[in-house]
Amino acid sequence: MDFILRLQHSAVMDWVRESGSLWGYPAILFLHTIGLAAVAGINGAIDLRVLGVAPRIPLSSLTRFFPLIWAAFAVTAVSGLTLLIADAETKLASAVFYVKMLFIVLALVNLHLLRTRVFTDPAFDSRPLSTQARMLALSSLALWVAATTAGRLMAYVGPVAGLK
Amino acid sequence: MNSPHLHLILNHVPTVGTAIALGLLLLSLLRRNQELTRVSLEVFYVVALITLPAYLSGVATALALEKMPDISTEAIARHHDGALSGFIFMLFTGGASWIGLWQFRRVSRYSGLNVAIVLVLAVITLTFMGGAATMGGWIRHPEILVADAPTPTGSGGFITAASVKALVSDYTWLWPSLEALHFIGLWLLFGVVLLVNLRMLGMMKAASFSALHRLLPWSVLGLGINLVSGMMWVIATPEQYMSNVSFFWKMGFLMVAGFNLLYLTTFDDPWQVEAGDEAPFRTKAVAASAILSWVFVMYFGRMLPFLGNAF
Repeated sequence: MDFILRLQHSAVMDWVRESGSLWGYPAILFLHTIGLAAVAGINGAIDLRVLGVAPRIPLSSLTRFFPLIWAAFAVTAVSGLTLLIADAETKLASAVFYVKMLFIVLALVNLHLLRTRVFTDPAFDSRPLSTQARMLALSSLALWVAATTAGRLMAYVGPVAGLK
Repeated sequence: MNSPHLHLILNHVPTVGTAIALGLLLLSLLRRNQELTRVSLEVFYVVALITLPAYLSGVATALALEKMPDISTEAIARHHDGALSGFIFMLFTGGASWIGLWQFRRVSRYSGLNVAIVLVLAVITLTFMGGAATMGGWIRHPEILVADAPTPTGSGGFITAASVKALVSDYTWLWPSLEALHFIGLWLLFGVVLLVNLRMLGMMKAASFSALHRLLPWSVLGLGINLVSGMMWVIATPEQYMSNVSFFWKMGFLMVAGFNLLYLTTFDDPWQVEAGDEAPFRTKAVAASAILSWVFVMYFGRMLPFLGNAF
């Protein structure tokens, strides 16, 4: 905790937070936004396919998107960690922040289960998907909706910094 | 060129454009010409797209005009309410037209129900837009009022901008809720955009375009959520957006993305991309520009508080 607070007041983080440069806080915030849009968005589109929206998309072709989701998640996580450290005092004191983290962890576990339980079945393209697969897709959508909502509410509920 | 100038250029598109598209649609029904039906739906979509800057430049013009002497703020408000009502129905008309175009791809004919819905929505849109255009004329051209006409009173539409503004400021939980919705709409839209356009660029060639086509309505749903939430913010606090350079660029790239969506929906070259096919160059170029324009929409959206004066 003390360590994070010391980091918050390091020169780099002071610059991120207070320089007013578009390459500081705003750029990191943008990376976080585009990262989350790609992670939740691609995962959401895969969920829709599993739920039967576009049944002629071969599930096997979608496996190529999993590495892309994880790459986008890396961008989201690194930018998110930077945003957290830059404003650690406020964010670590916010209950909504921990709720958000919980939903993200659950969503990632869900994604992993989808990958290992549904997408490893060699015959998944030739027979209808199981109820379990559909439940995983539904819970995935619900978890990303919850994580996004909690993320937005961090700017309004509990302690709120002047940062956007 | 400034916003009032842009408004003067664009303000005829919603009325004249809707009238022309409506005429084309009726003509296509009389002639039983499916191709013409398709053209009329495309025109409705494009008119709806151009109505966005027409409406927004109007909001900016109102902010500029209200500071001037001899301008009736009631006349402006009445025009705004009429335009807002017309704009809402225009969005429904454009959306219904898009659904018609999307369905046509699947079944190669138009559903009578869809055409009927577009027809009704277009007539309502034209009614409100026509009223809004007339009331807009009164703001600066009272001479078009006939001498013994009663002074116009009452609201110009079925909804007032003032009531939307009051709604957003009275219910403090509404703004954060709209933000959550706006971000959910954003990823719903962007995920489908990525999947479809990355396929066109060569990823997951095992899927045909027609298979991916089924996902498109979900991105339009995301877009719809974001248009509604975004419009509520603009109406509630127009001054935050109208002199904001970031908002201008965001809307510009939104228009580009809107045209990209039309390409994906109605043009033949993406549709002919079968499983295993390489997409033609033009399709790849549009796919790349679609992804890029959405990235820019997000960038300038995020930059609203930083590049501009908002919030």
